[in-house]
Amino acid sequence: MTAPDNSSSQEPKDGEELRIGVFVCRCGTNIAGFLDTETVREYAQTLPGVVFAKENLFTCSEAGVSEIKRGIEENRLNRVVVAACTPRTHEPLFRATCEEAGLNPFLFEFVNIREQCSWVHKSARDSATNKAKDLVRMGVARAALLEAQTEIRSPVVASALIIGGGIAGLSAALSLAKRGFEVKLVEKKEEMGGMLRFLGRIYPADVDAREIVSARIEEAANHPNIEIFTSTQVSDLRGYIGNYTATLRGPEDRSEGITVGVIIVATGIRALVPEGLYGYDGRRVVTQIQFEQELRKGGDLPHQVVFIQCVGSRNRERVYCSRICCMTAVRQALMLKEKTPSAGVHILYRDLQCYGVEFEELLRKAKKVGVRFVAFREENPPVVDDGSVTVISDVLGSELTVPADRVVLSTALLPDESGAATSKLLKVPVDADGFFLEAHVKLRPLDFATEGIFVCGACRWPCTVSESIAQALGAAGRASVYLAAGEVAVEPIVAVLFDEDKCRGCGLCASLCPYSAIEMVETDSGTKARMISVACKGCGVCASTCYRRVIRMEHYSDEQMQAQISACLKGS
Amino acid sequence: MCAGRVDTVHLIHPFLEGADGVFVGSCLAGECHYDTGNSQAVGRVRLVRIILESAGLDGRRLAMKMMSSAEGPKFVEYVTRFVQDLKEVGPLGVIEGITGEDLRIKLTAALRAVEGEKVRWVAGKRYEFTETGNLYGETFTDHEIGRMFREIVADECDLQEMLLRLGKEAMTARDLAARMKTSPPVIVRRLSDLLRLRMVEMSDGEGAPLWKAT
Ligand SMILES: Cc1cc2nc3c(=O)[nH]c(=O)nc-3n(C[C@H](O)[C@H](O)[C@H](O)COP(=O)(O)OP(=O)(O)OC[C@H]3O[C@@H](n4cnc5c(N)ncnc54)[C@H](O)[C@@H]3O)c2cc1C
Repeated sequence: MTAPDNSSSQEPKDGEELRIGVFVCRCGTNIAGFLDTETVREYAQTLPGVVFAKENLFTCSEAGVSEIKRGIEENRLNRVVVAACTPRTHEPLFRATCEEAGLNPFLFEFVNIREQCSWVHKSARDSATNKAKDLVRMGVARAALLEAQTEIRSPVVASALIIGGGIAGLSAALSLAKRGFEVKLVEKKEEMGGMLRFLGRIYPADVDAREIVSARIEEAANHPNIEIFTSTQVSDLRGYIGNYTATLRGPEDRSEGITVGVIIVATGIRALVPEGLYGYDGRRVVTQIQFEQELRKGGDLPHQVVFIQCVGSRNRERVYCSRICCMTAVRQALMLKEKTPSAGVHILYRDLQCYGVEFEELLRKAKKVGVRFVAFREENPPVVDDGSVTVISDVLGSELTVPADRVVLSTALLPDESGAATSKLLKVPVDADGFFLEAHVKLRPLDFATEGIFVCGACRWPCTVSESIAQALGAAGRASVYLAAGEVAVEPIVAVLFDEDKCRGCGLCASLCPYSAIEMVETDSGTKARMISVACKGCGVCASTCYRRVIRMEHYSDEQMQAQISACLKGS
Repeated sequence: MCAGRVDTVHLIHPFLEGADGVFVGSCLAGECHYDTGNSQAVGRVRLVRIILESAGLDGRRLAMKMMSSAEGPKFVEYVTRFVQDLKEVGPLGVIEGITGEDLRIKLTAALRAVEGEKVRWVAGKRYEFTETGNLYGETFTDHEIGRMFREIVADECDLQEMLLRLGKEAMTARDLAARMKTSPPVIVRRLSDLLRLRMVEMSDGEGAPLWKAT
């Protein structure tokens, strides 16, 4: 078939003559060893708009960079194309080179003829040369349509909102406050402190949980940079990184608006109430938290105690392991043995999760002082009777009945009930179990994908106090990067609504945007989309979704991409 | 650039420029660097495949595969297989028996359809319909969505094709039906809809009225 006639003009938009310079890198032998760079250069010289083409031994070297600069100056280039390696490593350098020579860095186009050509076609010199010509032709076609862009900058309010006043939220608050940033710490309960308010001596440090947390509460309450809101929840949130406005709903439904630059989520965990499981009654059959109170009071302790692990967890409903309940059971068993050495303690488990040096040590100690461990299988759960528990030991393969005047259920730990609401409000994701989901499990463990919102503590996954604090300090560190900079800079590869009149305010773009970078606003001419450029990551989902076709991706416009595709199909 | 940036327009445009096939590569399912862009691309690729098929073209001309950036060999395997498939199918329009001006018109009609609001709207809503539910909380299965797409899209492509053909020359409903290989009654019904929308006009011809796009 014949191609339609769409010979695009070779004039940049403002009417000036197009003067493209192409630099072909030999990369030593990395490129030149497998394709003919001189042929590629000669070919580039013939392409529409190209006024200058040069081969470099290494374009990224001092010499190469100054050749680009000289090329720009001597030939009044207004577009630069480098055919070399990958933008991943070298785009910043060449953009900066253009800028130094007085050319807007976004009038630069990178063509990869190494990773995408010479390296993968090492035994086909002629085809590799032809492909490099194709790639250069495509790059030149795109370069012709590039437009100057300016970096987007937006101020960051030097204040943080921290949601959750447990040990994680408190630690993050203090860390930020001590660096001189203002903190608004919001706790939904009347009292601060979270789970630690209900615990006694905790491990591995063997310190009193209430003491640690009270000290921090006091320090936070007295810190001039920290404002504490108890019995308060965030009821509305608007804005974007650097400039969030939150509505706080406090006691007696009083509302207050605050403005912050960043947000840290530290909403913690709760324990499953094992209603209907193993004869739970809160007296004879209790939870770990209830037994913690008994240990703390330190009166008459039961003599025969049986712990049952994985209650309501690692089953079909909740497949995950709550991670810290084995350690808690071992700790509570040891504390009991310390007080009553003659006490009989059995821990009935499926698998033991006692990670880290300290907790492994704890486990050894427990075994040494005579705590008995009996493994069972999920399909043969223990049976709790009056005064005893019967279990089929997975090791012995036979039934075992152990005396019990107290049964402690190590129940699943769940995210706070408010998780779903918080997730919706902040537009940050939770996983299938309701725990918050970080941006990247390895590389960005404390960030959400949405810039400016961070996560720490047990709301991410059940964890110990030291892990909570470590994460809190990390999250505060991440947050302070933005707070200290005072502004955020964004690559101007963002979505723009270029014809607001045509926008019908359907809101599809806003609902699909993974970064909450589009808000729907009321204007005199109806509901319209508004792009929040600082929050935009340039993925382009909105542009390809807009049914009115009024969203453009800067630097990756339809015209630029189609010019590249057309050039590809035209053949040399 | 995310696969989510790939517009239905980008998928049809290359065919008009002479491509015999289009391949879309994206991140693995559930591992989109931009959250859900790849699964949205899946929807658009499906939609365009439906459009190509309804234009009488072989659906194998459009392929999408998911892979991670660490899976070079997989990329090679997928592309090699795609190229083999394309070699079997041959140059655009030949095995399909649609060539020359007919092919141009069909593809232009398809492009107009995906540039148009109606098809873009359903394409955009697909995600909502299948994932989050419509206004009434109903979600649809892929099968149901496929059927709905097929109807809306085939309608729209036919409409655009009629307008394109009638834009070139005035002709009778019978001639138009013959060129489009559909039945005259269907064409007549569509023409009367278009007449009401003032998108076509009618003039006296010899024996039968002549239609022309306005
Ligand atoms: C029985 C038991 C024993 C344990 N023993 C030990 C031990 O020996 N050693 C150890 O290291 N760890 C132990 N832990 C773990 C320890 O409790 C946690 O590591 C720690 O509490 C996590 O702190 P956090 O701040 O992340 O969450 P939390 O302590 O749960 O605090 C979260 C806070 O956020 C508040 N909140 C929740 N949602 C909202 C909202 N939407 N708005 C405002 N506020 C909100 C909650 O009310 C709460 O105050 C134990 C846990 C349990 C259950």
